[in-house]
Amino acid sequence: MSDALTWLLLVYPLGALLVWLAPRPESARALALAAHVTGLAIAGLALANFDPAQSGFQMLERAAWIPSLNVHYAVGVDGLSILFLPATALLFLGVTLASWNAVRQLPRLYHSLLLLQAGATLGVFCAVDTILFFLFWELSLVPFYFLVSLWGVGPLRGYAASKYTLIMFAGGVPLLFGFIVLAFNHAALGGGLSFDLAELLATPLTDRQELVVFLLLLAGFAVKTPVFPVHTWLPLLAMEGPVAVVALLTGLKLGAYGLIRFAVPLAPGAAQELHWLLAGLGTFGLLYGAVAALAQTNLRAMLAYASLSHVGLVLLGIASFNLQGVQGAVLQLLNFALVAGGLFLLTAFVQRRLGSTDLLALGGAARTMPLLASFFLFFGLAGMGVPGTSGFPAELLILVSALQVHTGAGLAALFGMVLGAAYFLNLYRRAFLGPVTQPGVDQAVDLKPRELALVLVFAALILAFGLYPAPLLDVIRPAAEAWVARLS
Amino acid sequence: MTELFWNQHAAWPLLATLQILPLAGAALLLKLGERPLATLLGRGVALAELLLAILLYRVFDGHAAGYQFAERLDLLGPLGYHAGADGVTVLFVLLCALIVFLVTLYGLVRGLAEPARLLAVVLATQGLMMSMLTTLNLLWFVLASAAELALVGHLVGYWSTSPDKDRATARFYQFQSVGLAMLLLGVLILGWSHHDITGGAWTFDLLDLAGQPVPRSLGAVAFFLLFYGLGVRTPIFPLHGWLPTVAQHGSVAVAPALLLGVKVGIYGLVRFVLPLLPEVVEAWYPYVTGFAAAGVFYAALLAFQQTNLRRLMAFAVVSHTSLVVIGIFSLDHVAFQGALLLAANFGLAATAMMLMTGFVYRRTRTTRLDKLGGLFDRIPLIGLTYLVAGLAIIGMPGTPGFDAAHLVLEAGIHRFGALPTVAAALGNVAAAGFLLWAFQRAFLAPAPAGRGTAIERATAMESLIAAVLVVVLLWSGFHMGPWLELVDAPLRALAERFGHV
Repeated sequence: MSDALTWLLLVYPLGALLVWLAPRPESARALALAAHVTGLAIAGLALANFDPAQSGFQMLERAAWIPSLNVHYAVGVDGLSILFLPATALLFLGVTLASWNAVRQLPRLYHSLLLLQAGATLGVFCAVDTILFFLFWELSLVPFYFLVSLWGVGPLRGYAASKYTLIMFAGGVPLLFGFIVLAFNHAALGGGLSFDLAELLATPLTDRQELVVFLLLLAGFAVKTPVFPVHTWLPLLAMEGPVAVVALLTGLKLGAYGLIRFAVPLAPGAAQELHWLLAGLGTFGLLYGAVAALAQTNLRAMLAYASLSHVGLVLLGIASFNLQGVQGAVLQLLNFALVAGGLFLLTAFVQRRLGSTDLLALGGAARTMPLLASFFLFFGLAGMGVPGTSGFPAELLILVSALQVHTGAGLAALFGMVLGAAYFLNLYRRAFLGPVTQPGVDQAVDLKPRELALVLVFAALILAFGLYPAPLLDVIRPAAEAWVARLS
Repeated sequence: MTELFWNQHAAWPLLATLQILPLAGAALLLKLGERPLATLLGRGVALAELLLAILLYRVFDGHAAGYQFAERLDLLGPLGYHAGADGVTVLFVLLCALIVFLVTLYGLVRGLAEPARLLAVVLATQGLMMSMLTTLNLLWFVLASAAELALVGHLVGYWSTSPDKDRATARFYQFQSVGLAMLLLGVLILGWSHHDITGGAWTFDLLDLAGQPVPRSLGAVAFFLLFYGLGVRTPIFPLHGWLPTVAQHGSVAVAPALLLGVKVGIYGLVRFVLPLLPEVVEAWYPYVTGFAAAGVFYAALLAFQQTNLRRLMAFAVVSHTSLVVIGIFSLDHVAFQGALLLAANFGLAATAMMLMTGFVYRRTRTTRLDKLGGLFDRIPLIGLTYLVAGLAIIGMPGTPGFDAAHLVLEAGIHRFGALPTVAAALGNVAAAGFLLWAFQRAFLAPAPAGRGTAIERATAMESLIAAVLVVVLLWSGFHMGPWLELVDAPLRALAERFGHV
């Protein structure tokens, strides 16, 4: 199947259309689920067809889109991106299942928006034409805006949705300019305008241009990652947005992927020159997020700051510019889809039962919901990188490479991990352990079979890749080696 | 410039039919008076005109240079009938036909008083607009423009329910008559200059005038008269003073859609001013673009402060029109392509937003933002259409706005450097700000307390109008190629006049 990627990108919008044809809301929901399952199957098939021995792009497809600008519909995957396809499809499937009964208002619209969001997000991972990438990048904002505005749980959901969308639009401007500068440079060297990633990678830039391109792309991706100080939308969205949907934001770090895929390889010299900036942003975000998470009294806010802290570690891994660093960064990003996504799905179950995730409404929740509480702890430990979970190999790789390259930052990262244990365990104790004080907690029911099955899948994957990460690392390795080779 | 006459490649004079059909339809409608048959006929004529425009597009040969379907008839000396079409004309003719057709459908939904009279005026306006779009005689353009604006003024006042409608109408006529006077004066100067230099007969024909360069000093005067004369109706900052009042107190969607949907001012600039006065344009473009850049931000700033949806959209139009002007005065092939497609995109998107606002007004009897809200649950398709149009205006990928704005930005970087262009692009983010904010307030915010009855769901005809707009916007957004090809040849010729291909 050489056109698997196009099918993958088509199945979600098609599903979004089909949802409207279903006679009843229940069958619409089932159709949406079927589309997500099909998507996951195609993503799995693409992974099965992927040849891990090659370092370049595979399953390439190309068609003219805007001929006068030499813009193409071009998709392809390599070792850095292929694993994100099943991870994304799985997380969207999880979100759909987690909001199965929770969505009462306009269910068809909800599911079709979620499907469109999935299609756009997968497009971000598949695109190898910078303008096509930009298309998917911006398209992924629109469904999200609606999902937050219409189904958010907080009173400021409208404000949160607008703030997020506007910050992302503003971030899109430097991104687009970075791509245009690259295309102009390609034209100036006599090749005509080009937005093709492979061609742009092969085009040399002057030092000054590299610096401009790197800073533009860094600015564009930093707002989405998010990096301190442009992270303020994330805690706000976590509090105001629909809880299950926020799992997509903490689980899929598109900004960090953009840095690995575009910013560093397109401007390798400038990236290395500014390694201190990347490492500094990463370390600061890591510590700042951890300290801020310590002060939270709401599970969702805590998880949002924890996500900020974790992505700081990924930046630190990228900034090492060596094989372990980038392998660890990609592995950690994949790990987020399982751990951070899974934690937010569990939080959504709490929210659904108690109408709140604040400490005031919790306390002793483990007594009535032992399964939910155990899984929450398990996912939390995976987030800390406890051995045996998928967080461990990723964090180990990043820490080892960071200690080699930026020793101070690596030590700070170690300290950040201690803080990570502190904020998670502290809030966990207050929310789930101790006596039951709230009547709502008293009557709460534990995980239902559907929820349990979903959580078990995530937990099994976390364990499996924690104990035996070699297959994943094998897939990432050739592309990561090529990535590192560009830098030297 | 070469001309291909209509009898060389078409069975009948298409351009004349395009102009006469709506005018004849309008006359027939007035004769029939208010009866069901008349309104049906009116919509039939609008549909026939749309089909005719599509036929023109099909027959049109995109690779040939010069004007096609040319028609000439000697009438009153210098005021000869001379029509012709290039790719730019075809694009605007299609847009005009589509917008008028949707407006006639909209009139049906809104149930406005005296529908036959409304349709007659709309069709007559269309006929005159087609005349402006196809003529190659400057004086003819000015006269058709005057008649068209008089009709639109009637549309502004007659079907408005606002107590302030007289003020809106008066403001409209005051501004437009000044604009027309400037335009006429500019055209007369060009004609006189041609007569003075060649010693021949007076002529206002584009092809004759293009053969004889205008002296520099006189050219500057003519340029500013023409530019600002067209600028009043476009409208260009700082000549937009009439628009907010007209948008707020005039008839809800019909008049603004006709005025702002088809950007005849931009068309006139590209068709007449740029080819006739290239040296003057080269000398003055920094000032023009400076004003336009100020306009982007000034209008965006004011848009943020509006409490009325219709007034807010007026400022949105001023803001994005300034972006089109920046594109045109970047003076190269890519920029012309981008600016014209941007103008078409803005026209269609603004029409969509105004028609959707009309549907909202039909339900709420107000467009004050604090009285709206809670609409999305009841009329999601109308809300979505409004949002898609808004996204097209801010240049979201997947809408025609993106490809067009992209071209303008590329040309802007070449001409003005990266920093000013980034600034202009950020102005677009400001536009995203107020459009999203308006959408949020109007559709997503909780319904205001005290709204008595439930909001009526969208009717089939409303859904049809909304769906047509969304499909056209998204389809041309993802499939921009044909439109770029359509305007490629004429704009290449224009760019050659400026030496930047």
